[in-house]
Amino acid sequence: MIKLSRRRWVIISIIIAGLWSAYVLDLGPGSLSTGAGGLALAGEFFSHALQPALHYESPVPTGTTPILLRSLHAAGWTVAFTATAISLALVFGLSFGFAASTAWWSEDLTARDTAWRRILAAYVAPAVYGITRILINLMRSVHELLWAVLLLAAFGINHLSAAVAIAIPSAGTLAKIFSEMIDETPRDAALAMRDAGATPLQIYFIGLLPRALPDITAYTLYRFECALRTSAVLGFFGFPTLGFYIAAAFENLHYAEVWTYLYALFALVALVDWWSGKVRRSMLLWNQRQV
Amino acid sequence: MEPETGLNLTIRQLHRQRPRNRFIRYSIGLMLGVIVLSWVLGDFFTGEVFNERRLQNLQRFLSELIPYPLQGRAFDWGIASDWAQNILAVHGLEAMVTTLAISIAAIVLAAIGSMPFTFLAARNLSTPEPFLPVIGKQPTAVPLTWRLVVGMTRLLLIFLRAIPEYVWAFLLLTILGISAWPIVLALALHNIGILGKLSSEIVENLPTASLSSLRSLGATRLQIFGAAVIPMALPRFLMFFFYRWETCVREATILGLLGFVSLGFWIQDARARNNYDEMFLLILLGATLIMVGDLVSAIARKVIRDAG
Repeated sequence: MIKLSRRRWVIISIIIAGLWSAYVLDLGPGSLSTGAGGLALAGEFFSHALQPALHYESPVPTGTTPILLRSLHAAGWTVAFTATAISLALVFGLSFGFAASTAWWSEDLTARDTAWRRILAAYVAPAVYGITRILINLMRSVHELLWAVLLLAAFGINHLSAAVAIAIPSAGTLAKIFSEMIDETPRDAALAMRDAGATPLQIYFIGLLPRALPDITAYTLYRFECALRTSAVLGFFGFPTLGFYIAAAFENLHYAEVWTYLYALFALVALVDWWSGKVRRSMLLWNQRQV
Repeated sequence: MEPETGLNLTIRQLHRQRPRNRFIRYSIGLMLGVIVLSWVLGDFFTGEVFNERRLQNLQRFLSELIPYPLQGRAFDWGIASDWAQNILAVHGLEAMVTTLAISIAAIVLAAIGSMPFTFLAARNLSTPEPFLPVIGKQPTAVPLTWRLVVGMTRLLLIFLRAIPEYVWAFLLLTILGISAWPIVLALALHNIGILGKLSSEIVENLPTASLSSLRSLGATRLQIFGAAVIPMALPRFLMFFFYRWETCVREATILGLLGFVSLGFWIQDARARNNYDEMFLLILLGATLIMVGDLVSAIARKVIRDAG
């Protein structure tokens, strides 16, 4: 009975929090209705959902790239920012993930036979571990777009700032998850290596990391999908990704064109989703066969 | 050449038997190709990040991150805390409360909204005879109409989650005008896509014994859903609920960039007035809020996990 009531408390708190937030934000049906003008606009926008534009809605100068080609181009840029950001995030995520795991200095995996090894294990390693954890949390806790705001204020608009803005929180998250995955990897092989006299680094890179690799790859692919969406949004800040064209078409009231770009984004995300799901599933099988 | 000893042979055999998967290899190759191409063709180094003017800009930016009353003098805790308290009192705290409320309203709305989609997207519920106990013969094929229902629901869910919250908010703000609704709805729409997918997977993976026994007692589809599916799926559903709430807090801070007064609005405002010190403090407030949100969510998930 105690178990049941605990869960019930969680649900009651959620309901109270929901009511509180509706009160704070004044979320009544009254504030939703926007009058006939808003309703007409909404109707006009959503009625174009089934007929996205295949050509520009207003005359364009000759030589302009056709809209379908342009959405392909923007999708390419979206992927480009994502790929560079994730490659940066992977490098930093793996290194910080190493520092933020306990596996390279924990008591049962390291020998403490010499004085400097004792000092390393007792003082240096915990300090490195703690500082890395704080750093990771700071990187994660500031949203990609806020990093973009900061970096654009510091460096002006350039492509590297955009990639780095996506890369920083991704690297923090990857590092956090990687370190947890490595610490949760079964330690039988690592312990056997320790008994055979392997150094902590050998244990880490041969006994632990390869076994966590399928999980690490799967999670990186998931972050790739997240970064893809952020990369599209960076278009709103002036980068040539899909968001840029969505915003431009919407502001020119070309609703059919908006839907073309929305469907392009949808197709891109769905494609990557499908592909990474397939990779993850075969990784899982691969891992099971390995064990 | 190494001598061919027995050990070498065994190692070689093991090496030959190592698991290989062509699809994974091609995928990794493709990924590396895309990354290299992006770095090469993406215009990342043509902008001269560190020319003279840019460096001066950067220096000015960094010096302006220091709280304004402290610029050009020794650090003093009193002045710094007065400055910070002033910003908090003017709009910082209120913006934090608004941001929190947006995230909660959005995730509650998303949880409610994803329920019907869960019902329609779970393959074991969206059939003419859900949970009919199989006796002897193989289950018959699912009719086309039901498969169409599942397929269309899933497609809609993918579409909802493929469009980022920020884009939904941008579109809805123009259509509905500036109030909390567009922001909350934007977050809710995206999360309905995610929660709908996750919870339909939970329902599909439920153990079927008790569901089938309800069915054989004559329970209807809705009765099974209400009396058995929801109670059984609830703990895992709540886990996802809190996990998604964390991301809602993150997103709620930045959706203010579009014009509704969450933290992002004041960050944008401070940036527009070139008050980088204030902007930096507000960004730190957002980070604090996100960290607290993560902590609350972790505690709640632990309570649920322990309760089983």
